Amino acid sequence: MARPNDIGWRDAPDRPFEGPVGWIEGIGLAALTLLGCLRLYLRILLGRARLDVPAFAAALRQSGLSILPAITLVAAAVGAILGRQTETILGRFDLPGLVLLPVTYGLVMELVPVLVGILVAGRAGVALAARQATLSVTGEVDGLLVSGIHPIQFTVAPVLLAMLLMSFGFVVWVSLVTFAAAFLWLWAQVNIPPAMFLDALAQTLTPSDLLEALGKPLLFAVLIALIATINGTAADRDPQGIGEAATRTMIGAIAAILVADFAVILLARG
Amino acid sequence: MTRSPPPALQLSGVFQHVQGHAALADIDLRVEAGEWLLVAGPNGAGKSLLMRLILGLDVPSAGTIRVLGEDIQRLDWRGVTRLRGRLGAVLQGGSLLKGQSVIENLLLPIRDLPGGRARLAREARLVMALLRLDGLENHQPRSLSLGQRRRVELARALIHKPELLVWDGLTDGLDPASARETLQVLSEQRGSRQLTLIATDNGADALGATCDRVAVLERGRTVFNGGPSDLAQALPERLDLRYLLQGRP
Repeated sequence: MARPNDIGWRDAPDRPFEGPVGWIEGIGLAALTLLGCLRLYLRILLGRARLDVPAFAAALRQSGLSILPAITLVAAAVGAILGRQTETILGRFDLPGLVLLPVTYGLVMELVPVLVGILVAGRAGVALAARQATLSVTGEVDGLLVSGIHPIQFTVAPVLLAMLLMSFGFVVWVSLVTFAAAFLWLWAQVNIPPAMFLDALAQTLTPSDLLEALGKPLLFAVLIALIATINGTAADRDPQGIGEAATRTMIGAIAAILVADFAVILLARG
Repeated sequence: MTRSPPPALQLSGVFQHVQGHAALADIDLRVEAGEWLLVAGPNGAGKSLLMRLILGLDVPSAGTIRVLGEDIQRLDWRGVTRLRGRLGAVLQGGSLLKGQSVIENLLLPIRDLPGGRARLAREARLVMALLRLDGLENHQPRSLSLGQRRRVELARALIHKPELLVWDGLTDGLDPASARETLQVLSEQRGSRQLTLIATDNGADALGATCDRVAVLERGRTVFNGGPSDLAQALPERLDLRYLLQGRP
């Protein structure tokens, strides 16, 4: 950011988002990025701008299809773990109707959205931060600027859209796989009938709960994209800066996901 | 009474401080529309910094820069974007997007213009043919030679028919024959419409007689500003210029 020095001149730009007001600059950039993306989506809907289809397809591949096997495996493993732990509790308290309620609720409302958020952050968020940092390191960002293209919108807009779509898809898919794994485990080990499982689902989850569970990963996706943008933009113009941007994004995204999750719970439940 | 057109570029008292020292100091420069200016000087003289300021990629520490009649520091993002639509730029070190093909890179400045992609791609192919880049449409920049990458950058700079072309590192990566050929293309562009060119190079040999004026920078200051013939006359008398441009006393 340009800053006035003691003789009233501005020194050449240094690393952004540093100093006592750096965090305000970061929030400002995040807000502008989000507004810019929303404006671009609106213009695309109105036919005044074009969606960068190759970049969107690449982002879909990167944030979605490429991690589908991994996310399925993680979901199945989490489901099996949960089933095994539930089996332990059922060994102590033979109240399957009661024990299944918090398990189901916690799984749908917290575990799956947070899991999806962390996996999307690890793949798409880190890739976005690294991409933006690389643009600065290689001088490609200057090429975009002189071509009259906003570099942040150019990189973030297709990726954010892909992240939103994939997060929604993932939360449905991961819920199904996790449930299936947990249910199969409990059915095989303690002979809990499918009807009891479905009954627990119907008793614990209201339509507004389901909306909240489906909406949270979308909020997480927006936060991940903005955190990646801030870190990618602030990265030093050297290869080390790319690695640092990726690491900061992962840590920042996990922290933001958990804090946002808690904030949503407080807002929704008081 | 007719008003004369504004200059394509006017710099007044431009300073740029980098980490506490003046990388550019008190630069005054005026380039008329259609004029060709060569900014020459050794490495570290401040040429690239000057080009970045002209393109609005950096903000000067002090002074004013008017590009095509507009004070670039007073423009908001939309204004700068609109102005950049009238500029073309070839940057030192390269600025092509590595993950995109040559044709996708070329289409960047015109991607939001009306007309289908096929029509825009046809325009891109015309510019590619002009610069002998035919057949490289689907190549990735990393698979091209340095000279080819420079020509792709020039094609991207010319595709939207700019009024002012800023070329940092005129002969970088170009062999003498390619440099001559590229200058010939630019001469043709100049003939068909009024194109202002500002280019940088270490020496003053590259443009030779084709440029209208030469400005020589040394440590961020202008030490010469005049026509090529004035420079040729000054060289025998001025040891400093000979040293800066030819590397020998």
